[in-house]
Amino acid sequence: MTTLSTTPVTEPAEAAREPLATRLHRWAITVDHKRLGIMYIASGLVFFVIGGLEAAAMRAQLARAGNDLISPQVFNQLFTMHGTTMVFLVGMPVLLGFGNYLIPLMIGARDMAFPRLNAFGFWLFLFGGLLLYFSYIGAQGLYGASVAPDVGWFAYAPLTDRTFSRGNSTDYWILGIMVSGFGSIATGANLVTTILCMRCKGMTLLRMPMMAWMMLVVGVLVLTALGPLTAAQVMLLFDRHLGAHFFDPQQGGSAVLWQHFFWFFGHPEVYILILPAFGFASEIIPTFSRKVLFGYPLMVAATVAIGFISLSVWAHHMFAVGMGPALNAFFSAMTFIIAVPTGIKIFNWIGTMWGGRIRFEPPMLFATGFVAMFVIGGLTGVMLAMVPFDWQVSDSYFVVGHFHYVLFGGTVFAIFGAIHYWYPKAIGRMLDRRVGVWSFWILFIGFNLTFFPMHISGLLGMPRRIYTYQPDRDLELWNLISSLGVPIQMLGVSLVIWNLVRSAFKGAPAGPDPWDAWTLEWSTSSPPPEHNFDASPAVGSARPLWDLKHPEDPDGRYE
Amino acid sequence: MAATSDALLAAADPAWRPSRGKTGTACLIAMESFFFGTFVVAYLFYVGKDVAGPTPKECLELGPAIFCSICLFSSSATVVAAVKALARGSRAGFEFWMGLTLLLGGIFLAGTAIEWKGLIEDHSLTISTNLFGTTYYSLVGFHAAHVTAGVLVLGLLWTLSKLGHLTPSDAERVELVSWYWHFVDVVWIFVFTSVYLISTGVLS
Amino acid sequence: MSERPELPYSREVPTPTAWPLVAAFGTALLFAGIVTNLSASVVGLVLLVLGSAGWFRVVFPREECERIEPTGGQIPVLPVPLPPREAPRKRLVLPVEIHPYRAGLFGGIAGGIAMGVVAAAWGVMEHQSPWLPLNLLVGAVNPTLASASEAELAAFNPGWLAIAGGIHLVLSLLTGLLYVVSLPMMPRRPILFGVVVVPVILTSISWSVMGIVNPAMEEYLSWWWFIGSQVAFGAVCGVVVSRFAKVSLMKDLDLATRMGIERSEGGRS
Repeated sequence: MTTLSTTPVTEPAEAAREPLATRLHRWAITVDHKRLGIMYIASGLVFFVIGGLEAAAMRAQLARAGNDLISPQVFNQLFTMHGTTMVFLVGMPVLLGFGNYLIPLMIGARDMAFPRLNAFGFWLFLFGGLLLYFSYIGAQGLYGASVAPDVGWFAYAPLTDRTFSRGNSTDYWILGIMVSGFGSIATGANLVTTILCMRCKGMTLLRMPMMAWMMLVVGVLVLTALGPLTAAQVMLLFDRHLGAHFFDPQQGGSAVLWQHFFWFFGHPEVYILILPAFGFASEIIPTFSRKVLFGYPLMVAATVAIGFISLSVWAHHMFAVGMGPALNAFFSAMTFIIAVPTGIKIFNWIGTMWGGRIRFEPPMLFATGFVAMFVIGGLTGVMLAMVPFDWQVSDSYFVVGHFHYVLFGGTVFAIFGAIHYWYPKAIGRMLDRRVGVWSFWILFIGFNLTFFPMHISGLLGMPRRIYTYQPDRDLELWNLISSLGVPIQMLGVSLVIWNLVRSAFKGAPAGPDPWDAWTLEWSTSSPPPEHNFDASPAVGSARPLWDLKHPEDPDGRYE
Repeated sequence: MAATSDALLAAADPAWRPSRGKTGTACLIAMESFFFGTFVVAYLFYVGKDVAGPTPKECLELGPAIFCSICLFSSSATVVAAVKALARGSRAGFEFWMGLTLLLGGIFLAGTAIEWKGLIEDHSLTISTNLFGTTYYSLVGFHAAHVTAGVLVLGLLWTLSKLGHLTPSDAERVELVSWYWHFVDVVWIFVFTSVYLISTGVLS
Repeated sequence: MSERPELPYSREVPTPTAWPLVAAFGTALLFAGIVTNLSASVVGLVLLVLGSAGWFRVVFPREECERIEPTGGQIPVLPVPLPPREAPRKRLVLPVEIHPYRAGLFGGIAGGIAMGVVAAAWGVMEHQSPWLPLNLLVGAVNPTLASASEAELAAFNPGWLAIAGGIHLVLSLLTGLLYVVSLPMMPRRPILFGVVVVPVILTSISWSVMGIVNPAMEEYLSWWWFIGSQVAFGAVCGVVVSRFAKVSLMKDLDLATRMGIERSEGGRS
């Protein structure tokens, strides 16, 4: 291997000592995809802490049977806000933020296709999120009405009807999500356009990093899923404010139609949240296994297949509402089918690691943890796709355990892996390795302690969304273990955040290419200049930096 | 080395990358299609499920609706003529065809307004009357809102041209606006079919 | 696009602007007015219009951009010239060899038959009906079977037979394919994996979830026979699969070679 002599590892350039106001102004008016990406991720992490504290409060309430720490009303608000926050204000912005930061760097562009639209999207997301949380102050309304939304993150009709949800709390849910949804739509369109139109010379579609493929499909899914959600929310708003009857059974309206509309958005949304995680794993695992990604074309095909199939599995959330055998069987079958391309990806990652020289740096630990936890979540998902099984455990803690393995063990672990992987690029300094390893193991143990027992309490018959349960039903032990995992997870997350903050000042300088990686973002300095590349790059293969480091054995040879 | 790289690139560079304006507009249209699709599904789902009158058959008139549809569909042709005129560099031609498009769009909106007035005053149908009112006003209303937005943007283009700010190099941007206008027309095909043909029983 | 040879922002970057922020804040206020006070909506609308107008002025007639000032400290990236194609090089892609996929199809079918024979033997010996095990399989998709009488379950039912046959065929083929991929990865004595490990894993999974997945089957099932049928499948499938010679995945060769074109240059067969 030839070393690249042009890459001195020096201290990242000291930011000019400008007054704080000037620096803040720069961030406010920026259209730079890197700054916007960092703002997306940072505000997403703030919401992550808030949503996590909401979950911690719920687990504290459920630690003992018959506990009265939290009132039923507040508990309803907590699980609604926790779910809404984690999906709309953590998952989407953090993942779209990574797309924002990385995609132009990975495909060798100077910025997104529509930089101003990009800024518009970010601010819409932020103001939408603030509007949702403003409900705690602003939604007083009638006496006895709820202050924060308390109808679940899916807001099933007719709970959301004016009769049952007085005051304005549900309106805050509608409007906050709608405004931040506009932002997601803008960013989704921007990602698709950027990936299709802004690739540098030589970057054919099949030379793009896997992450770019994932974000392309995510962008398309955002466009297809968020439109129906917005439409359904507008209908609900009409019902509540103009006296319309879309979801009003008294006037012939259908509460089940809301479920169809919501899950037509809701299931693609799950793939919006997991596909970028697949992208992170597909970048991290090859780098730390020192092997090329196993089965790249198959991976692309599987991703596109997931994108299509995910539009026709939504009603597997509704097996228990009585759709009839034909629909149940169709959606059950489609759900089994979507497990196939997902399984292909798992095998491809394992195939990548197989026989590789694996370096267990913190990003790789998180990525490996992601694969393992996602397999568990995916398998319980296949179990839930069986209608008879689903009838038994629908709306039980088994389901809660299942989707936390997918979205926490899957998405959040992958996000932490991505943070550890690309932090040196964005900040110019390395994260502390020891703290990273510790935070992974602590988080891993805490996560499994909390969520594995949920499968058991669910099979024992514990329903979701209850604020307490009776003693002597064999549920105490499992709930206690679940709750004991929470402080461990909090410790793990705190360690990650402490590491992020401390390393920004004290970390070792990273240099352009600290992991000896192969994609374009590692060719520019860390942190990259505003224009990303002094000279527009041009590539001859999928791993341009490998080619530079191994001119005797370039990848183009094998295309 | 540089020469070799250039040769490699010439062989390797994809000749075709879509323009970002067209791709972005296509994304917007895709999203809007799903948005309108949801309203159309809701409309069709609730046809005939009302527990109280009036029904679409009682209060919708096919004649004026067909006239308005013809106006809207022909405006798709005039907007194409306008874009072609701009690309040729003919300002007067652009302003004439764009003005005609605006007129046709305006007639369509006026037709909708008259129809709504009749429904509210003669049939006392509002959005809260029954499911038909709910779904009809939302679907037709959102379509009319999109036509209004289109008229505003086209009007802005017409004004810019009057002020002499539009050049033939802007033809691609103007063409993108015309795509949006075509999209609004296509949506009307589905709205017209659902509202005036299926739910009134003309097609059944 | 052919008429647009230069990519956007190839020599410049967009100028920062606050108008998108203004427009976004206006949008949020516009909607917030619905639940707070109409005056908020009015202010929001004004801000939205102002923001959009300002935004429009930034991009029309020409997008505002800034020149790039090079900063250095980067690795310039250009394609490297490809070395002449003398000898094919090896690039390690693992696993190097698997059994051919058709081995999995044959193995799956053979294993499925063996399993069926054992299951039918159980049905005849304990319930005097070869159809019972097949009908029970239908319970995985049709929960009402749990309430069917034993006579119904023991009788021949063409519809159920078709469903059960389909389920059995798909599961057998998929398991056969799994054997193709995983047997070569087992370090020693792959046949042990096929005959012992997989049946034990599958039986324990089935044992723990059978009550919820297929309550009908749980009611009648004899676990010793069940293990027997699993081992029969594993043994037959494993033996059939491992009798096929392994083939190279040839991931390190280019597509043309792997498709059998230019075989002379590829040098592998």
